[in-house]
Amino acid sequence: MVNSMTVSPPAAGLARALRGQLLAIPVTVAIFSGAVALLANSFWLSAATSAVALSLSVAGLAILYGQLGLVSLCQFALVGVGGWVTLRVGHAFHPPFEVSLLAGGFVASAVGLIFGLPALRLRGLYLALVTLMLAGAFQIVISAWGFPDGGSGFLGRADGAGRAMLARPAVAGEAVPYFLYVSIIAALGLMVAQWHKLAKPGRAWALIRKGETVAISAGVPVLIYKAWAFALSGFLAGIGGALLAGNVGQLDGRAFTAFESLNLFALTVVGGAYNWYGALIAGLLLRAIPALLTDLGIDGYVTIGIFGVALFHALATAPSGIAGQVAGLLKRLRARIGKDGAA
Amino acid sequence: MTFLPFLISGLGIGAVYALSGVGLVVLFRATGVLNFAFGAIGALGAHVAWQLLEWRLPLVVAVVVAVAVATLVSFLYGRLLAPLLSHRDTVVRAVGTLALALVLIAVMGVVWGELPRRLQFPTDQMFLTLFGVRLTYTRILALLLAVIMVGAITALLSRTRLGLDMRALANDRDLSAILGVRIRQTETAAWVITGVFAGLAGLLLGDLVRLQGTFLTFLVIPAIAAAILGQLRSLWMTAIGGLSIGIAEAVLTPIAAISPYRAAAPFVIALIAVTILGSTAQAALKDR
Repeated sequence: MVNSMTVSPPAAGLARALRGQLLAIPVTVAIFSGAVALLANSFWLSAATSAVALSLSVAGLAILYGQLGLVSLCQFALVGVGGWVTLRVGHAFHPPFEVSLLAGGFVASAVGLIFGLPALRLRGLYLALVTLMLAGAFQIVISAWGFPDGGSGFLGRADGAGRAMLARPAVAGEAVPYFLYVSIIAALGLMVAQWHKLAKPGRAWALIRKGETVAISAGVPVLIYKAWAFALSGFLAGIGGALLAGNVGQLDGRAFTAFESLNLFALTVVGGAYNWYGALIAGLLLRAIPALLTDLGIDGYVTIGIFGVALFHALATAPSGIAGQVAGLLKRLRARIGKDGAA
Repeated sequence: MTFLPFLISGLGIGAVYALSGVGLVVLFRATGVLNFAFGAIGALGAHVAWQLLEWRLPLVVAVVVAVAVATLVSFLYGRLLAPLLSHRDTVVRAVGTLALALVLIAVMGVVWGELPRRLQFPTDQMFLTLFGVRLTYTRILALLLAVIMVGAITALLSRTRLGLDMRALANDRDLSAILGVRIRQTETAAWVITGVFAGLAGLLLGDLVRLQGTFLTFLVIPAIAAAILGQLRSLWMTAIGGLSIGIAEAVLTPIAAISPYRAAAPFVIALIAVTILGSTAQAALKDR
């Protein structure tokens, strides 16, 4: 208590830097979404909505990969879990959208935690393998189950007639308000993720990454913080899935293949797992490049090729991804401005 | 309800899984790279074979060119790109091959599209009748090929200089370098071998199931499952593991309640295997 009464100057500076870093998120998202809402047509608006929703799931993946160095290849399956639960709850009880959204987030968080259990013992390659298997198994289950569309029973499938769409939130029924709604939630989600990185959990994760022995000897409860990372990552994925489900009111079981999880991981590395805006960049790349190519009439497979090349390039030469390069650029610019000001 | 027909059809797929698993283990042991692009490389070869057969070239040419193309792609990645990541974690090196898989999927998608096709070999029409069940020559061929290839690789590893070098690399990379093992050459040889395996597995699966880029790419999952059963070390255990996975998947077909989920069999088996064997196989996975 004594310490918190007398904040030393460096700590105060740190707190200010932390606030500044957190505030940069809503400001950036506001500028971006304002521009999109004003300029985009309905095709691009829909692409931007799912891009922002997906950036949340990328932010979750970035915590695992960027903070702990864990490779999880089932993040898109967790997006699917979130979407499934949101649709299921939404059709069963017709609650406000936010309730279904949170239900999706929490269930995906729990599933993410279960998926992460092996990682509490295993590391490195084995985690990547386990999660790849889980993504494969999920693909088979979800293509057999499909997503709920207002039917009865546990699966909630209405065959043929009587298929229902999930209603969008009451405050955001139209496309533009819904896009802004998604942007606000994404900004909140990104801030939660960023806070975790800057505050105590982030320091604990950094220690764990140095070596578990180091972390244990420093008094960090390794298991709890690792489990927390998986739960948070799953939660963000689930919210992303819920927002995707809200966008169209329905999801397609065939769209949740293991391949999509691989794509999501590739883009997380390409976008940059160490800066918060890497998630936004990755989300945009995931949805905007295919939309752009469709617009230009180029084969959609070209996108995958571009992702592949970008992934290898990022791994081999730019481990911090596009966001890392942007950060480096900003730093250089700031240094130059500072020098000019001094002169 | 009889399981026998399914068991026999599972033998063919199982042989392909075994072949693929062994291909993965050979590469992993020598280089420490788990090749996620294994299926995609095989798929590329199979597509090339299909194209050549469309152009009415003889079967032998199609098969040889297919395996050659798969081997070439594997060789080029192993020689030019894989060394760029050689000093990184095992996971990063595995993810690098994911990039190759994505690029190959894109190439196949642009050139051949996603229309499911099938390779047809004349051996599909010839069959033996075993316990009243038809066993096509393609399946027998797959089984024979699996046994011969595993035997050949075992002989190579235990009797030749290259095999000795590969085993040395698997054991301790730095120490082998000091003792004068030519690391780059040995690793490239492993990439070539795995490319041959990928080409053969792709051809067989393109015939036994279907010819489709993304589908064949995920051949790598049951193959990895088999490799894990062999603890990423033992070739024979991997082969037996692959065979059992194929059979397990096929035998579940007639059980109506499980049938839609039977394709998940490899994943479930692998999950259990990882959880049980994961702690004991740590030595094989220490970052090299």
